[in-house]
Amino acid sequence: MEPTEILFWIISGIAIFSALMVLLSKNPVYSVLWLIVVFFCITNHYILLNAQFLAIVNMIVYAGAIMVLFLFVIMLMNLNTISEPRRTLWVRLAGVVSGGLLLTVIISTVRSAVDMNDKKALMSTGDIGLIQNLGKVLFTSYAIPFEISSILFLSAMVGAVVIGKKE
Amino acid sequence: MNSIIVSAACGILMMFGSVWIGNKNYFRFIAATGLLLTWVANWADMNGNGLFQIPASGMFVYTHISYFFNAILIAATLIYVIISGDEVTKQGAYPAEYFSLIFFVMSGVSILMFYNNMLMLFLGIEIMSIPLYILTGADKRNLKSNEASLKYFLMGAFSTGIMLMGIALIYGGTGSFAIDIKRAGSAVPGFYNGTSFLEITGLLFLFASMCFKVSAAPFHFWTPDVYDGAPSVFTSFMATIVKAAGFYAFFRLVEVRMAQTATSVDWKLIISFIIIATLFFGNITAVFQQSVKRMLSYSSIAQAGFMLFSLFAMNDLARQGLMLYAVAYSLSTIGIFAIMTKMKDYSFDGYNGLAKTHPALAATNTIFLLSLAGIPLTAGFLAKYYMLASVIRTGTYTWLVVAAVVFAAISVYYYFRLIQAMYFKNGEPVVAAISPIFKYLLISIAIIIIAIGAFPQLFFNLFYFG
Repeated sequence: MEPTEILFWIISGIAIFSALMVLLSKNPVYSVLWLIVVFFCITNHYILLNAQFLAIVNMIVYAGAIMVLFLFVIMLMNLNTISEPRRTLWVRLAGVVSGGLLLTVIISTVRSAVDMNDKKALMSTGDIGLIQNLGKVLFTSYAIPFEISSILFLSAMVGAVVIGKKE
Repeated sequence: MNSIIVSAACGILMMFGSVWIGNKNYFRFIAATGLLLTWVANWADMNGNGLFQIPASGMFVYTHISYFFNAILIAATLIYVIISGDEVTKQGAYPAEYFSLIFFVMSGVSILMFYNNMLMLFLGIEIMSIPLYILTGADKRNLKSNEASLKYFLMGAFSTGIMLMGIALIYGGTGSFAIDIKRAGSAVPGFYNGTSFLEITGLLFLFASMCFKVSAAPFHFWTPDVYDGAPSVFTSFMATIVKAAGFYAFFRLVEVRMAQTATSVDWKLIISFIIIATLFFGNITAVFQQSVKRMLSYSSIAQAGFMLFSLFAMNDLARQGLMLYAVAYSLSTIGIFAIMTKMKDYSFDGYNGLAKTHPALAATNTIFLLSLAGIPLTAGFLAKYYMLASVIRTGTYTWLVVAAVVFAAISVYYYFRLIQAMYFKNGEPVVAAISPIFKYLLISIAIIIIAIGAFPQLFFNLFYFG
């Protein structure tokens, strides 16, 4: 095993463990902290794929900004005390069945995977995630979606003002 | 492309409108003019006289049917603004912004007409949805409206997440965002040259989220609450133009993208299950409603079930049928909602005796309801006919047609209940002041519906030779 491969397995293990902990911890603040660990692991995966820009953005935006917002919301709403409503048996059963169905679909497709073998890290080959290539693609072949997304942001801003302003 | 730019520019103009123009009553005239401009821009573009020529670099594909569908939807919006524009100005304190959001939605609609790339599909769906979340919550003092807006936002964001996940998986499987990838010739190096498991999973996710956007069962749970909670004028917009646009986008996705994996996934089987579920939940639940508005939101689910037939059949009849359905369903629903916004009481009993006090309203409302139910001589009948005929032409799943006819018969019950309330029950309906122009507009919409129902060639001539 190459060192990158060993690194890949370790990071994946931590990612799955902490993703489980997000769901299992009773305290919402711990959940958020575990989620930060998940984002760190995913950032490491991006680095293994030689996508440095994506890694940095993921770190700054998700682990930084969004998680801080999460923590603020939890603190403001004072969710520390656990007040989860009791779920009825039927709701739980429905959740298990629908979640299990999704799992079956995904596992059955993954089992037939031939195109994912031996593709763990692109340490020296992949250069698609470098900021230079990203910028070139964004402003040439993806210029139209780049410009059109401005309509999306504008409409979101108009909406925020309409919703937020005092009447 | 021209219609995207013009409608976005009109949206920006309307946004500044509240600063420049003091009188609220001018807004709807400006909006109508803007929509007319958008329509003309689209029509000129269709005939090759576009104002702007922008290289699409694979993001858009311009076909005759896309232009024509776009023209239908812009025209429907124009009719909507003319007939319900004064109600929009009465909602909340920001009428100019509401019209501006409607223009942004129209620009998203135009993107969905021409998209050739899943990135554009995502952008179009989002540009269409985000203003709708705001419009749903326009009635800020009403708790029901707030709840509907929040619910729509959360569910919509979740389904968008699933859609993005699906698109990312498809990209992982094929190395391309395009919906018409040439598989054999230009396989991306390093990618498996065939149907990948990532692609199938991604397409299933994409399929589920598109079903959510057009409110097909079992992803329809948000529809009644949102349509019921939103201010009636905006429900009318959401349930008609936006839904039809979503259907056309879905149609193109199934036609171009899903069809490429037809050897691995039996899409017809999946769609047939969804059709039956949608028809069942929509029609059966609509029977038990006491409020006309809620009945209409369930009926819009049921009508979505019929529109799904076009996705199932995928032939020429399906294409024509979808266009006809978009016209028939949009016009009737806009008309019914326009009348409903004038009523004080939205329950069935609120319509009691409307025929005696307002015969014109009752008569036009009856024509719209007959069209929704699919009674011959109305556009709705032909639309349903084309949908069922397209399935029969495929030669498989004939039981679907039988089931659809049974559900159409059930739908007659709840549409006729309203007609019965208007004509055969006594009561004093409370109706807001009706202007003569409003009456003539309703009558002209009814005439369009009957004209298309009686002479569908007029409509198709326009499509083939327009």
